[in-house]
Amino acid sequence: MNAGLNEYLILSGLLFALGFFGVLLRKNTLVIYMCLELMLVASTLALVAFSRFNGTLDGHVFVFFILTVAAAEVAVGLAIIVALFRKRGTVQVDELKELKH
Amino acid sequence: MPTDLLPLVEQAGRNQWLAIAPELMLGLIALLLLVLELVLPKAQRGLIPGIAIVSQIAVLVALIINLSTPYIGAGPTFNGLLQHTGGGQFLRIFFLLASILTCVLGTVSLPRQRMPHIEFYHILLVVTAAMMLLAQANHFVMLFVALETVTVGLYILVSYYRDNPLTLEAGLKYLIMGALSSGILLFGITLLYGAVGAVPDADGRLHTGFEYQTLARFLATHPGNFLASAGIVLVLAGVAFKIGAFPFQIWVADVYQGAPTPVTAFLAVASKAAGFAVLLPLALEVFPSYASLVIPILSAMAAATILFGNIAALTQFNVKRLIGLSGVAHAGYLLLGVIAGFSQPQAVGAVYFYLFAYLLASFAVFGVMTQLGGSDDATQDMDHYGDLARERPFLAAVLAIGLGSLAGIPPLAGFMGKLVIFTAAFKAGHYGLLLVAITGVVLSIYYYFGWIKAACFPTNPDPATPVANTRGPVHRGLGLALGLLAIASVLLGFYQGALGRWLLGL
Repeated sequence: MNAGLNEYLILSGLLFALGFFGVLLRKNTLVIYMCLELMLVASTLALVAFSRFNGTLDGHVFVFFILTVAAAEVAVGLAIIVALFRKRGTVQVDELKELKH
Repeated sequence: MPTDLLPLVEQAGRNQWLAIAPELMLGLIALLLLVLELVLPKAQRGLIPGIAIVSQIAVLVALIINLSTPYIGAGPTFNGLLQHTGGGQFLRIFFLLASILTCVLGTVSLPRQRMPHIEFYHILLVVTAAMMLLAQANHFVMLFVALETVTVGLYILVSYYRDNPLTLEAGLKYLIMGALSSGILLFGITLLYGAVGAVPDADGRLHTGFEYQTLARFLATHPGNFLASAGIVLVLAGVAFKIGAFPFQIWVADVYQGAPTPVTAFLAVASKAAGFAVLLPLALEVFPSYASLVIPILSAMAAATILFGNIAALTQFNVKRLIGLSGVAHAGYLLLGVIAGFSQPQAVGAVYFYLFAYLLASFAVFGVMTQLGGSDDATQDMDHYGDLARERPFLAAVLAIGLGSLAGIPPLAGFMGKLVIFTAAFKAGHYGLLLVAITGVVLSIYYYFGWIKAACFPTNPDPATPVANTRGPVHRGLGLALGLLAIASVLLGFYQGALGRWLLGL
C-alpha cells in the first residue's frame, strides 16, 4: 500500500498538535523544548511531502534551512536552560515565577 | 526530476549585491568588532562601542543619501528573495536608528555588569542586519531565515545579564514563546506552500507558494481554499506573537521586566516594528483577496489588544512591566492602522509615521530608565522616580516629553501619530474600533501621568524598599541622545515637513 499526500499531512498535523499541546501542558523545560522541536519536525515532514507531490525542489531546500535554524535555536536554548539550572537548581516552569508583581 | 543547474548559476551571477550593501556593511562591522577585541590592547578596548556607534551612523548617512536607489520598484532581486520598496527603505533606516540608540543605552548599562561587552554589540548588529533584510523579504524562505536570525539573536540578548536569575527566567520565557511562535508561523507557511503547489509561468519555470506574488495570484483565483485559510490563520498567529498582540501577549510583561533595559528598548521598538514589517506586506499585498477572513481576525485582535494592554498597565508599579503592557496597547493602535490599510492606502504611511514617533518617545523614556536603573535593573519601581524633577530636571523633562508623546498629548509627535492612524481608520469606516482605541488612549493617560507625577513629587521614603537607583551625572553620549530625541519628539509634533510628506506618501 502506498501512502498518499493525505496520510503524510494527517501524520504531520498530529505531530504538530502533539508538540503544540505539549508546550502548553508540560511542566519540565526540557520536555517543552522537545515539543517545540516536534512542531518544527511536523512542518519539515509536511514540506517534504508537499515538495514530493508537487514536483518542485523548493520544499526540500527549505527543510535544510529549517534544520540549520533549529540547530542554532537548540544551541542557544540549551545554554539558557543550563545557566538557569545553575542559578536556580530547577527547570520546572511552575517553579520559575519570580517575575511577577 | 531533472534540474538543469546552468540557468540557476546564471541567475546567481545576476545578484545585485549593491542592493543590500547596508546589511553587508553591518555584518562586516559586527565581525570587525570581534576582531578588534582580539587585537586591541586592553586599555583601548573601551573604544569599541564608540566604533560600533560611529560606523553605524556612517551606514545610516550613506543609506539616507542613497534613499531613492534604482532598485526601488524595479521588481524582485536575488531571484525573487527580496523586493525593494519605499516602505522597506524607511524600515531599514528605522531599524538602524533603533540599533544605534540601543548601542548608546548599552554604553551606559553594560559597564555596570561584570559581563563581556563586545558580544552585545556584535549580536545587536547582526540582529539589525537581519531585521533590515526582513523588511524587504519577498519570499517565505527569506522571511523565515531572517526572522529566526532576529529571534535567536534576541534570545541571547534578553538573557545577556546571565548573573541575574530574573534575566535568565525572562530569557527562558522568551525562548519558549519565540520558538512556539516560529513553529506556528512555519506550519502556516508550509500549508500555504502546499495549497499553491507548482505554478508554471510563460517560460515553463515552476513557481511555488513561497513567492509572495505567486501566492497572491493563487489566493485571488481560489477563494475559500481550506488549506490556504488555515495557513493564513497560522501565519497571522505567528506574527501576532512577535508584535505582542492579544491573545499572544502573555510573554510581554515578564520578558520586558527581566531583560536588560537596553534590550527591553530594542524589543519594544525594533522587534515590534519587525513584526509589522512582516505583517504589512503580507496582509495588504498577499492576503487582500482573503480580506473577509483576515480583517475580522485582525479587528478582534486589535480591539482586545488595546483594551488588555491599557487595563493591565493601570495596575503596574514596576515601570518596565508598565511600559511593556503599554507597548501592547501601541501594537493595538498600529494594528488598527494595518486594518485601515485594506481600504485606505495612505494608512500604511500612517503606520510608519506612528512607528517613528513611537521610536523617538520610547527611546527617550528607556534612556531615562537606563540611566536611573541600578546594577539590578529588573526591579525598577515608580517609587524610584520620586523627586526626580528637583534632583535631575533634565532627565525629568525628557521623561515627561517621552511619556507625553506615548500618551498622545498634543502637540507632541505621538499625538500626530495617533491622529494620522485614527484619521485613516475613520476614513475606512472602522467606527467601533476607533471608539475602542480612543477609550484606550484615555485610559493610558492615567498611568502615563501617574509616572510623571511620581517623578515630580517626593515619594514617601519606605524603609522596606531600599532605593537602588543611581542618580549620578548623566553620561554625555546618553545625554546628547536624550536631548535630540526629546527635541525631535517636540518638533515632529509641530512640523512634519518632508519626513511626513515622504512617509504619508509611501
